[in-house]
Amino acid sequence: MDEGAPPSGAPRPRLLRPRTRVDWFLTVIRVAVLIVLAVGFMAFIAQEINPDNPFARWANPDATGLTGAQFRGLVISGIAQGSMYGLIALGYSMVYGVLGFINFAHGEVFMVGAMTGMITSNKLADVGLWESNFIGSLVFIVVVSIIVSSLTAVVMERVAYRPLRGAPRLIPLITSIGVSFFLQNASVVLLGPASKSYPNVPDWVKAKHTFLQIEGAKILVIVVAALSMAALWYYVDRTKTGKAMRAVAEDAEIASLMGIDVNRTIVKVFAVGGAMAGMAGILWGILFRSVIHTTGFLPGIKAFSAAVVGGIGHLGGAMAGGLSIGVAESVGPLLILEPLGVSGVSQLRDAVAFSMLIIVLLVRPAGLFGERLPAEDRA
Amino acid sequence: MSSSVGRIPLLEMRKVNAHYGAVHALRDVDLSIYEGELVCLLGGNASGKSTTLKTLLGMLKPTSGEVVLDGEVVNDRPTSYRVARGITMVPENRRLFKRLTVRENLQLGAYLRKDSDGIAADLERVYELFPRVKERLGQKAGTLSGGEQQMVAIGRALMSQPRVLLMDEPSMGLAPALVQQNFELISQIHEAGMTVFMVEQNANMALGIADRGWVLQTGRVVLDDTAEALLANPALRTSYLGGSKDSGDAAEGSGEPG
Amino acid sequence: MRMNKKLLALLAALFALSIFAAACGDDGDDETTDTAAAPAATEAPAEAADEPEEEMMEHLGDGSLGVVQVEAGGAVQIRSLNAITGDVAFFGLPLERSVALAIEDYGPIHGFDVDLGTGLDDLCSNDGGQAAAQIIVADEDVLGVIGTSCSGAAVAAAPLITDAGMVLISGGNTSPALTSDLAGTAGENYSVGYYRTAHNDLFQGAAMAQFVFGELGLTTAAAIHDGDPYTQGLAQAFADAFEAEGGTVTGFTAVNKEDTDMVPVLTEVAAGAPEALFFPIFQPAGDFIADQAPGVSGLENTVLLAADGLLNTNYLALPQTAGMYFSGPDTRFGENVNQSTGKTAQDFLAAYEEQWGEAPAAPFWAHGYDATTLLLDAIAAASSVDADGNLNVDRQGIRDHLNSVEGYSGLIGTINCDDFGDCGAARITVVQNLGGEENAEASMDNVVFSFAP
Repeated sequence: MDEGAPPSGAPRPRLLRPRTRVDWFLTVIRVAVLIVLAVGFMAFIAQEINPDNPFARWANPDATGLTGAQFRGLVISGIAQGSMYGLIALGYSMVYGVLGFINFAHGEVFMVGAMTGMITSNKLADVGLWESNFIGSLVFIVVVSIIVSSLTAVVMERVAYRPLRGAPRLIPLITSIGVSFFLQNASVVLLGPASKSYPNVPDWVKAKHTFLQIEGAKILVIVVAALSMAALWYYVDRTKTGKAMRAVAEDAEIASLMGIDVNRTIVKVFAVGGAMAGMAGILWGILFRSVIHTTGFLPGIKAFSAAVVGGIGHLGGAMAGGLSIGVAESVGPLLILEPLGVSGVSQLRDAVAFSMLIIVLLVRPAGLFGERLPAEDRA
Repeated sequence: MSSSVGRIPLLEMRKVNAHYGAVHALRDVDLSIYEGELVCLLGGNASGKSTTLKTLLGMLKPTSGEVVLDGEVVNDRPTSYRVARGITMVPENRRLFKRLTVRENLQLGAYLRKDSDGIAADLERVYELFPRVKERLGQKAGTLSGGEQQMVAIGRALMSQPRVLLMDEPSMGLAPALVQQNFELISQIHEAGMTVFMVEQNANMALGIADRGWVLQTGRVVLDDTAEALLANPALRTSYLGGSKDSGDAAEGSGEPG
Repeated sequence: MRMNKKLLALLAALFALSIFAAACGDDGDDETTDTAAAPAATEAPAEAADEPEEEMMEHLGDGSLGVVQVEAGGAVQIRSLNAITGDVAFFGLPLERSVALAIEDYGPIHGFDVDLGTGLDDLCSNDGGQAAAQIIVADEDVLGVIGTSCSGAAVAAAPLITDAGMVLISGGNTSPALTSDLAGTAGENYSVGYYRTAHNDLFQGAAMAQFVFGELGLTTAAAIHDGDPYTQGLAQAFADAFEAEGGTVTGFTAVNKEDTDMVPVLTEVAAGAPEALFFPIFQPAGDFIADQAPGVSGLENTVLLAADGLLNTNYLALPQTAGMYFSGPDTRFGENVNQSTGKTAQDFLAAYEEQWGEAPAAPFWAHGYDATTLLLDAIAAASSVDADGNLNVDRQGIRDHLNSVEGYSGLIGTINCDDFGDCGAARITVVQNLGGEENAEASMDNVVFSFAP
């Protein structure tokens, strides 16, 4: 994993020293965005102090403010959601790293993971194991789901992307959209169009725990996501295979000169990305307990945004991007928009998530942790 | 060191022809490199130098002829097999993994090796050879100076325990002082016993340290002699510069990618 | 999901084009149908000249919307346009099947068979309704359409279908915007030629408000919709009626249909600490609201209520929906007899079970059945057989008949059509979920409150 950009002489964004009209235009937008964010945030603070104070009233006459518990609930929910975006984003980021294209079907790999977990957990519930040995069952469905989603990703690479190796990057990108439709429709054909539920989880998973009043399911999601992230970091940073992946990502020709089998390494990248998506799918199932063939679409797009926000190709960035988008879309509507008097703010959460992407790209075009790419590397 | 005439060559090209699409890049090229030699292949732009290296390493398949590594015809073997059998290259412009640390770059050089004791010993040898590399182990390779990067590139190549080391344009893209230093490095590792096959445009520098050399022109070997003889041969200049006064730093011709 | 719909819309458009092209191709070989239909549709005088021969068969209509001729041996064309795929298929499929059963029970019209063609899909969306409607109106022989399932689809489909002179009768739409405010003002999406047997949601909203305020004795409530005309209309109807009852609406907001993390929206409504939360939306968003609400600070003890969009066995079987209340059409049809076919709800359910091997998953099947028999009655009343044995159907006559429906006995009860196409019986019940998968069927009939206007 990279820490910080190397001093490659890449120009920093010219935030404060505009030179061209485009720079001026971008600066104006950046300032406007910052003002909106600042006013919304101040209105929120004013509202929290006293909903009846004149500034809060001016911003939104119907404002009521939030209690501490409600605000905490929002943040936790955002972190839990964001951890899953982060896990999915890792796959986008890794594949982009080695092949330089966005695998839009990766969201569907996540859906396949969630569906596999749904089928497996219901089978376990049928024989009574789900209730009697929840942790054991959970480990089992995680293993099965990781295997299935990794296989899905690997087969996808072998069938759809490898034949296109060397083609312009737009070609595999468009192919990936096709693969995405294929997997969605395959799910409809195999499992039907209705939404399907996970079996009921034990009470301790649903109950709020004394620690910060967080539901067990959310603690589980956050902890498991953190562990998966740590395992992936170890794998990529410390193992020989991980080094090979990073070497292939940087220079496949020289990597093969080192004796690295590039194709096998790419397969492993897809497998590991798929495993992370499968893990996210299970967490999704435990938290929301309902999946449908379109489950992968929106989280997939948001995870892709998270990968870009964090700096695509950068694993820590993917996780950070996921967490920031998750928290932003959870907290943003009530923290910034509602105090500004926007109505129906909860419907705007997707808009908030994607605005976050735009704002980050305005300020740091390479993402939070990204390095500036030379022009020829941009797909 | 003296050449080892009479023994089996370590690396050999026999009547090799190679094509890039319609471009006939190598024509009946014969080369033989013996253990312990330092030999160089000279040639101008688009003369087929890089193609020769790619063909030797298995990144390009010859259309006819044979590539022989230690007595074995390796035409159908992938790069990784040839690397495992003792051939490696220091690429043009070094091409380190810039986002990886110096240590990781060196470790990747030993990717195919399983003998962790041997790897550790070889790392020590590289540190001995290049003490400055040892000070930079934890740094990202991209943060090193050009000279240091060259050391890491050579060190990375040595880590695969090569029997023959190919060097692609070691003077390319370096300041004149560094070029000098670089050629000193090469003769240093050669003196330590390494067989080196160097591809170069800078004939004077290369022949200054080499035992033997070939001159390649539009894919054909036009001169094949000892370094002293080549340096003294007036045909060298005309044949290889082809009358053109292009500087050695110019990019390769379009008919020959890489 | 959106892209998916776009693609489907594109495919649908291509399909429509190909049908159109096929129709054009037919012109050369088969001029008779074309020439027969064209003068009939445009030349009123010719019609008048024929009148003496037709005196024996009186029919409704003045020909102002054209006349469709069905040749001897041909079939009367009607269509079904319902949500038969996707998340809401549980709701649309029984509607589509009820149309087929009603046609079967009704039998021929003046000796002419009724052809339903291929069932079209409204996808429960504006785009889907529009695409399907374009396919339907490309066929000039179609007289009427039974659909849509979803109000959102009707908003786009109704103008297209009614402009083509056809009628659209829905067994599933309930949005007030499609008909009227029940006080004489047309809704913003009302089209002349649109009718429905489903109730107007102003009734359902009022029923829920009466139940929450009067029966449960709760004085504060919040409502969540998803931006769909049906959900928005119903949530608004509830909020208005609840305030009229004397309660306080502490929050009124919306979610995205695709959202899964409902904590933000629930936190938004929790700020007002409502005692009741009404979310008349669909699955899967409804799954997540019911699941996550008790975990949001301020909503731990809030009573959860939903409407007919979530009133199905699949939803009732979810553990998190145990104890929830649902408003919906009164399905206690008892001994009601459809006067056109003589069938009762029991007959219908038996036939349904026999044909499809399951009970209808959602409650609007009876409305679809009555909508179909109303349409077939109207076609019968607006048509006559001429000397050549052709059936001539006056499009305006169909509307005239439907406008005058009064005291019609249907499965859903007595049907009267008002000036804006509302023909529903408007009987609403509230049921409570007994909890558990095994009780899902029984919960559908666990009525705790009844409402009639």
